[in-house]
Amino acid sequence: MIEARGLSKRYGDLVAVDGVSFQIGRGEVVGFLGPNGAGKTTTMRMLTGFLPPTDGTALIGGHDVFGEAQAARRAVGYLPETPPLYPEMDVQGYLRYVATIRDVPRGQRRAAVDQALERCGLGEVRRRVVGSLSKGFRQRVGLAGAIVHSPPVLILDEPTVGLDPIQIREIRSLIKELARGAGEHAVILSTHILAEVEAICGRVILIHRGRKVQDAPLVELTAGGRKLEEIFARETARDVVEEGAAEPAERAEPAEEAQP
Amino acid sequence: MKRIPAVAARELASLFVSPVAYVVLTLYTLLAGFFFLLGVVSFVETLRQAQTFQAFDFLQQMNLNDALITPFLGSMSVVLIFVIPGVTMGLFASEKANGTDELLLTSPLTIWDIVLGKYLAAAAFVLLLGLLVGFFPALLFRYGDPELGKTAAGILGLVLTGMAYAAVGCFASSVTRSQMIAFILAFVILLLLLIMGAVAELGAMGSAAWLEGFLGWLSVGEHFENLSQGLVDTSDVAYFLVLVAVGLLLTKAAVESVRWR
Repeated sequence: MIEARGLSKRYGDLVAVDGVSFQIGRGEVVGFLGPNGAGKTTTMRMLTGFLPPTDGTALIGGHDVFGEAQAARRAVGYLPETPPLYPEMDVQGYLRYVATIRDVPRGQRRAAVDQALERCGLGEVRRRVVGSLSKGFRQRVGLAGAIVHSPPVLILDEPTVGLDPIQIREIRSLIKELARGAGEHAVILSTHILAEVEAICGRVILIHRGRKVQDAPLVELTAGGRKLEEIFARETARDVVEEGAAEPAERAEPAEEAQP
Repeated sequence: MKRIPAVAARELASLFVSPVAYVVLTLYTLLAGFFFLLGVVSFVETLRQAQTFQAFDFLQQMNLNDALITPFLGSMSVVLIFVIPGVTMGLFASEKANGTDELLLTSPLTIWDIVLGKYLAAAAFVLLLGLLVGFFPALLFRYGDPELGKTAAGILGLVLTGMAYAAVGCFASSVTRSQMIAFILAFVILLLLLIMGAVAELGAMGSAAWLEGFLGWLSVGEHFENLSQGLVDTSDVAYFLVLVAVGLLLTKAAVESVRWR
């Protein structure tokens, strides 16, 4: 459902993402791991068509994100790092708007909004103004916006950041449910919380300094009682030794920095 | 195409839950009332003087349209260069500041859906301003007999001016994430458009007659004047439509340009 073919993004001399390729199928939940500034957000933005890649292509459900933008975008639910909310709208008004611009047919909009509200536990705040909600609720409104049109593909950029432990558990079980349920969504979620990956992901893609350094099922990685943390530390450390001399130390992501 | 109204409706609703819409409507109406009152007082004064001096020829020519409505609409069109930037400053800049541009640009909306939706919201607001201003000359029909066609042409000119300014404001808002910068940029561009004619007339361009002619054409003043004097000429109407089209094309390019970086 999600396919990256040699995705690269360069900002002048800065290489944010360097030739990343992977495929994610139906019903898979993939943890997209990497230290801060590794290129996670940039990669996800290229998958959603928000940023054009310098090289390579991204396909969603077989549609080129830029060549067949409309078809690809219809199939994606995307939760950016900062949930894209209008603070002055109320929750259900916001979701109705998202459903409209996401091409949910008029007759199904109400049901789609109700379902998203229910799934994300937003029933009691449906008439509240988004700007007055706590961070946890806002995150959930963002997630509800990402799933309101029942997309087969979900791209979630740090979906549990800023939530309390109970909310985190709820969101995690929701994501698992989305992948397993009738919809059989393909889910990719970025995080740097390793426990999260262990809790919900079936597979791990680890990127470091813009390059994919690990891509394997979780059970394989943690076979023999190995800790994900050790693998993470080893992979990210090895790269520093290998490339440290040749590459510039800073591999910032300008796109991320631009966020307020 | 069906998504454009959705974008426009959301934009209008958000204008009316923010204080901006109310501040703009209140101040613009207040100013209109003030200019109108000033016009009426000076009209009455001129009338009285003309009668005192028994200037019958002058009295013959004097009418509500030329002496009151046209100058009034002229003042209101100048005020628009402060008002429209206030309405349009948030259109695109606030999306970028909120991060909601990421929602719009990853949705099936095309860039034209976004640009036209937002512009339509601003244009609807301009229509509302036109209605509010139109209320004052309408009062005169109760107490005098101004020419309907001439008055309507003047209000059309005001609305067209507002629509053209709104397109410029859209563009200013699309190049920055700061509403303040969007406001100032729009204001400066509109001010330049307004004084361009005066610059051309001063002959500041030396001997380049074609440049002088071009700047004169580019200036809003002459086109608005024709309309407010009741001359609905296609070329003047076309001028405003060209301004709208150029503004929106530039806006589209600016919105699209996030993809080039």
